[in-house]
Amino acid sequence: MTIAPEVTGIEALFPGFKRQGAHPVITIVADRCAGCQECVIRCPVAALSMDTKRWIAAGDSDLCVGCRQCVRTCPFSAIYIEGDPQVSERCLLVDKEPEELLYNVDELRQGFRNFEEAYKEAARCLTCPDPTCVRGCPTHNDIPGFIAAIRESDLEKAASIISRTSSMPDICSRVCNQAAQCEGACSWSLAQGIPVAIGKLERYVTDHVQVAPPLVSSEKKDLKVAIVGSGPGAIAAAWELLQEGAQVDVFEKDDRPGGLIVWGIPDFTLPAEIAARPWHQLVEAGVNLFCNHKVEPSEAESLLGKYDHVILAYGASIPIKTSAPGNTYQGVTDATTFLQKAQANLAAGGSRKDFFSALGLSRPSLDDNEDVSEDIASEKNSYHILVLGAGNTAMDVARSARRFGLGATCIDWVDEKFAVARPDEVAEARNEGVEILFSTTLNEILAENGKVSGAMLAGTHQEAADKLPKILTGRLNKIPVDLVVMAMGYRIDPGFSSEFVPMPKTRAISWQDNMRWAASGILATKSSPVTYSMEVGNLSLRREDALLQAGTAYKDRLWVIGDALIGPATVVEAMAHGKKCAGSIIHSYESAQNKDPFEGLNVLVCYDSMGGTTKHIAEVITESLPTSVSTKTVKSINDVNKFDISSADLIVCGTWIEGLVLAKVGPSKNMMTWIKNLPNLSGKRVSLFCSYGFDPKSSFEKMEKIFLQKNVKVIDRFAVKANEAHKEETKKAVAAFVTDMFAKQKIKAVKR
Amino acid sequence: MTIELDRDFLSDEEEDGNNSRPGTASGDGVPKKGDPVAVAVRLRPPVRIGIGERFQSSDPNRQLEVSRFKPVRRLLANRKLQFLLILPNQIVFWTVIFVGLFGTVVPGLNFGAAITWYVWFCLVFVMMVVVGRAWCSMCPFGGFGEWIQRRTFWKRTQKALGLGKKLPEPIARYGFIIPVVSFLILTWIEEFFNIAGPGNPADTAWMVVGIVSFALLFFLVFERRTFCRYFCPLTSLIGTVGSMGSVAGFRTKDRDVCLSCQTKDCMRGNSKGFGCPWYTWPGSADSNLYCGLCTECYKTCPEGNVGLFVQKPLTSVVQPSRRRADVAWAIALLWGLVLFQQINSTNVYASLDNWLNKKMSFAHYPNPIDYTVIIGVLALITAGIVLLLANALAKKDVNFVQSGDFVDKKSKFRAFFLPMMYGLIPIVGADYFARQLPKFFKHSARLVPSVGHFFGVGGGVNSSIYSFHIINNSWIVVVQVAIIALGTLGSLWAMWRISGRDLIPVSKNAVSLRLATTSLVVICGLAASILYVAMHAAS
Repeated sequence: MTIAPEVTGIEALFPGFKRQGAHPVITIVADRCAGCQECVIRCPVAALSMDTKRWIAAGDSDLCVGCRQCVRTCPFSAIYIEGDPQVSERCLLVDKEPEELLYNVDELRQGFRNFEEAYKEAARCLTCPDPTCVRGCPTHNDIPGFIAAIRESDLEKAASIISRTSSMPDICSRVCNQAAQCEGACSWSLAQGIPVAIGKLERYVTDHVQVAPPLVSSEKKDLKVAIVGSGPGAIAAAWELLQEGAQVDVFEKDDRPGGLIVWGIPDFTLPAEIAARPWHQLVEAGVNLFCNHKVEPSEAESLLGKYDHVILAYGASIPIKTSAPGNTYQGVTDATTFLQKAQANLAAGGSRKDFFSALGLSRPSLDDNEDVSEDIASEKNSYHILVLGAGNTAMDVARSARRFGLGATCIDWVDEKFAVARPDEVAEARNEGVEILFSTTLNEILAENGKVSGAMLAGTHQEAADKLPKILTGRLNKIPVDLVVMAMGYRIDPGFSSEFVPMPKTRAISWQDNMRWAASGILATKSSPVTYSMEVGNLSLRREDALLQAGTAYKDRLWVIGDALIGPATVVEAMAHGKKCAGSIIHSYESAQNKDPFEGLNVLVCYDSMGGTTKHIAEVITESLPTSVSTKTVKSINDVNKFDISSADLIVCGTWIEGLVLAKVGPSKNMMTWIKNLPNLSGKRVSLFCSYGFDPKSSFEKMEKIFLQKNVKVIDRFAVKANEAHKEETKKAVAAFVTDMFAKQKIKAVKR
Repeated sequence: MTIELDRDFLSDEEEDGNNSRPGTASGDGVPKKGDPVAVAVRLRPPVRIGIGERFQSSDPNRQLEVSRFKPVRRLLANRKLQFLLILPNQIVFWTVIFVGLFGTVVPGLNFGAAITWYVWFCLVFVMMVVVGRAWCSMCPFGGFGEWIQRRTFWKRTQKALGLGKKLPEPIARYGFIIPVVSFLILTWIEEFFNIAGPGNPADTAWMVVGIVSFALLFFLVFERRTFCRYFCPLTSLIGTVGSMGSVAGFRTKDRDVCLSCQTKDCMRGNSKGFGCPWYTWPGSADSNLYCGLCTECYKTCPEGNVGLFVQKPLTSVVQPSRRRADVAWAIALLWGLVLFQQINSTNVYASLDNWLNKKMSFAHYPNPIDYTVIIGVLALITAGIVLLLANALAKKDVNFVQSGDFVDKKSKFRAFFLPMMYGLIPIVGADYFARQLPKFFKHSARLVPSVGHFFGVGGGVNSSIYSFHIINNSWIVVVQVAIIALGTLGSLWAMWRISGRDLIPVSKNAVSLRLATTSLVVICGLAASILYVAMHAAS
């Protein structure tokens, strides 16, 4: 008996979906299939059902579209699909060809021209029940949700779905490297097909529905937050806090807000008016913005005196410098300087003469009045710049340079297979005449009269993405160069990084910490056709790890987010951090404001038990927690993972007491090691308990000492004699302890 | 029959907009704690219809959960448990190789040969009948391969050694048939080289080395315990005969929890343990057939929903509602093999084999042609009898749809053959056991002088214990026939229960069916008993 779903194929399910390629054939290994239904609950087109007599999965090849999510999620590899992914070609968008490069700042990448095109693309989406794209997206946009809304022609709804998780869809849809994020994790992509153009669809929505300004809550909260920096992390945090009714003050060292998205990304990728949009809306909605106000690293903590919370979102703005000989010659500059000057010059209409002189380039024969269009093509009568690096910033530098008629060569020592730039960006740059040399590194900068005149390049060889390339000094190549621009990446201001050492990481997150990641199948495919050799699943897991850290205070009431936390990353990641951090701040504020001290709290009761007594007490404590607690988790410390710790507001931690009756009495070694290995836990409260045989002695003090190093306040303690653990009086004592603990938690949390 | 799958997953349920906090939203009422993308997950609800029908009969009694007891729980949760079970066997196993290769050539005095052939098989057999796959949980062959594949003795490691291939469907579809073939080949090799006699102990050692190399190769090419499930020569025997055992294996406590589980840690593995090496899901296990008792699912289940259960003897023979063709054919072939092993000690067979060898200029017993033909014919005779019964007894109006794959295809013949073969399991098991008894009763005492010889003490072949027989030949025959009688009784009971549930509904006449199945069992029992009397305790 086969249970067949009442559909007549994908065309009935998703009008507009066009099949393409050889029809897939589903084979189920009847011997290995255990009937767990992991495939059945995830199949986007209901091609899989249950044969309930045999209790194994049954496949209907006629319905199958070959997305292979079943293959990726089957725990026993009991399902095979033959045939191509049935997805149609992407709607081809012709990006604008810059006919005249000189001073041209028009946006090049184009969105869908009309709804028909957008609909056609939206119809390629399978609306996967367990969407991997959402895990690939750093801010976890509900991608299938908004694409389904496009299919329903409801762009307002699509915009509102995106706005739940993103305050900058117009920016993200233009600057995100979708290949390493949502599109790389699209089911089609993981099945080695061409993914849905999620970025373009997001852009289509924002092109037609203006991103709504923050909805400021009429109910003002007594919550003052300072944000240092005004980049994407700060924007998202301010946005979220403002909506919740907090007062937000933002300090920016530059004369205008926006950080990297304003000066770091050229207008032909991100038009200026779009880059400026979030701050217009934020200032209008009531954020107090203080530009030209640099917060020194030493001052950051003193802000805590005036504010309830301080968020450090100062980014990673210090360019990494080359160590090649000759790096001090005149004519060696960094990407920030170059891009800022180019941006300012182009914004003023563009003048080669001014730009060249601003960069210190001078050659009498070059004049602004010359007809340069021919020169640009032939690269005659111009300067040649060497860009160190071939990442996204390097592409921006080189492409900006082309807009001043400069010849540009980018070099990167990695192999092109392992490049980090957006694949489309590399193609666009090449199209504009930028020479990009992978597997090439700078050996030496050459100079005449102290001015850069050339560069000596060496070849490299890289075997794998995680291996450093080897430099082949035997093959040197000299090229004439007038300017060297270092675009090798950024690092965090050393002043800040020495003051606020990034959180001690216990270990990187692994898939076992969140089995849902493995269950969705995102980790099962190593690479996809659009992602070079990046493993999208592992990338997204790592981003999740950083997100957890962003949602945990660095010190009490002090938060570090975005690039400042994790080093140079992406706009969308910083934005996700901002949102997460703001969410945590609001959550801690609300739980402190609640009349019922238990309400909304996430409580983690963890224990290390030898004979089961400590476990028993842990269970009694958990039972005594009132129902108004938001979540209660009781676990052995061996089972506690990062997700448990990061989501807990209050950790109740218990141990058995080891040692002889008189000597070497203390908490169990297992417990002590566990506490030592914990990450920074600031903002969280901890209460201790133990079960002892004779006398716990200074066990609590020993635990408290290490907990202090994790920036945790221990608010309460409770010791139970092991042989009394099961008595009725103990239960009452536990209940009293719980009430007392919560009272203390409330007092400490409210105190500013 | 159709069931409406949830087509509403496109609908937008989370209009409240409060989606920033993880773990609050859920698609089908199951809280997804700690999953940040919960809001976008709209899984289809799992199919629950028909689950009672499918599993009610085979689900173990909740009262019979062994893991209710704390010491058991702690033992099962310990990652070192399996290592400690394997270790002693591993030591014995390397001793067998070492002593077999370099020790005395007198089989009875060689510890390697003596323990393997006089004692080991009997012990494994007793374990099978009582516990099921207990041997698999401590097997040094699989254990050794697994240690290397996992690169650890007991820890949960991340990266496996080897290629990690999955057995392709065209092979996997034959399930239990493959290990029966490897068992037949191994048995033939044993007979041809007179390994199990036992002959030269070095041959025993080489055979053990051969099996372990074979196992290791498979462990390095394929993932998990593909070797144990699909290729191990013993797996079909342990699996089928073991289903008489009283240990139900690791099963789900509450099937609904398993169905709602979205991570299936027991199959995929998590930080606490590996995914099931045997490709078994406690949520759908209906017998102990494929439970290797490795405890991994018990360790990994995040809900504590897996328990170790015991059951009444023969439960896994009688109760499963999905009867598998590969298992049925495996039983028929195993039955053919054990009958062959009885027939081969008769004079009739000896003259046939000699004649054939002379004709084919083949070296000596056993001729591969008569070996395969006799076993095949015996299996086919069994199947033929069932075919006749099916034709005579099947209801006219029952429609047997010819569809599906080898394991599950339906036909009139299969409707009778599958349940009947399951019913024969006890008698087949008893026959294998009885076949081993002469060696045990006559020679197991030699273990003492063989150990002595190893350490250079004792009287060797001259000691009285060397030639000590626990009971004499006549009594051995009596015990053998008694064992067969016991097996026949088991089969009669199993066949009675199976007929009542699976066969009578497809038969014209209940009385004649009962008569036919009972006669089949009795005939099999008589055949085996007569052969044992004729063999007169030959080993």
